Amino acid sequence: MDLRSLIAPRLVAHAHCDIPCGIYDPTAATIAAQTVAKMVEKITGATGGDDASRNTYIRSVAVKEEHAQICKRELLILWTDYFKPEHLEKYPKLHDTFWKAAKLCSKNKQNVDEAAATELQAAVKEISDIFWATKK
Amino acid sequence: MRPATLLFRVAVAGRSMEPTFRDGDWLLVRQLRRPPRPGDVVVAADPRAPERLLVKRVRAVDGDRVTVQGDHADPAESTDSRQFGPIPPSAILGRPLLRYAPLHRFGLVS
Repeated sequence: MDLRSLIAPRLVAHAHCDIPCGIYDPTAATIAAQTVAKMVEKITGATGGDDASRNTYIRSVAVKEEHAQICKRELLILWTDYFKPEHLEKYPKLHDTFWKAAKLCSKNKQNVDEAAATELQAAVKEISDIFWATKK
Repeated sequence: MRPATLLFRVAVAGRSMEPTFRDGDWLLVRQLRRPPRPGDVVVAADPRAPERLLVKRVRAVDGDRVTVQGDHADPAESTDSRQFGPIPPSAILGRPLLRYAPLHRFGLVS
């Protein structure tokens, strides 16, 4: 038996958070918000009544819907699972920021609205900035 | 689980006790025979899974309620009394005395 195995502990004492570190990331919400904005751009700029054009148009609407939903889901995971009361003390507007961002996801599902898409991107960026600030 | 010997060794898993302990540190732990005091680093049974050991620092002692927390500056890096509440003194198994590996981090635990 070598020295290392002789002196190695047989017990483990845990010093972590329950969730492996790094599993939370606002990048997915950021990409989803960018996709929504891109789809709004495609929808508003769509021309042509042929089948191919109509197909692209309908797909753009579907992708906008889907990614607004992904964005909302990703935000809610960060809100309810990642952020803790200690973060709220430091960022007292956190709940309001998340609530408004989630509402913007719904607004982007209901409408084709460039301003709303831009607002959503800004809201997700604000949350992303707070997230990375807590990681420092 | 309660170690049979006065001294026992544990390996640290995780980062919640940084900078005091790092992931992979090996500690020599002495069974605690006196009541815990604020500031003590302790090895304790996880109140949610008693077979699992935790290493945390005592923040407050109020009768039979011991509040423990990780040393890490970011609360998101530690699951402790802020989530599972205070633990009873009986859950505390010992105090790390010595960090004996890795050798460049060898030293008494303060």
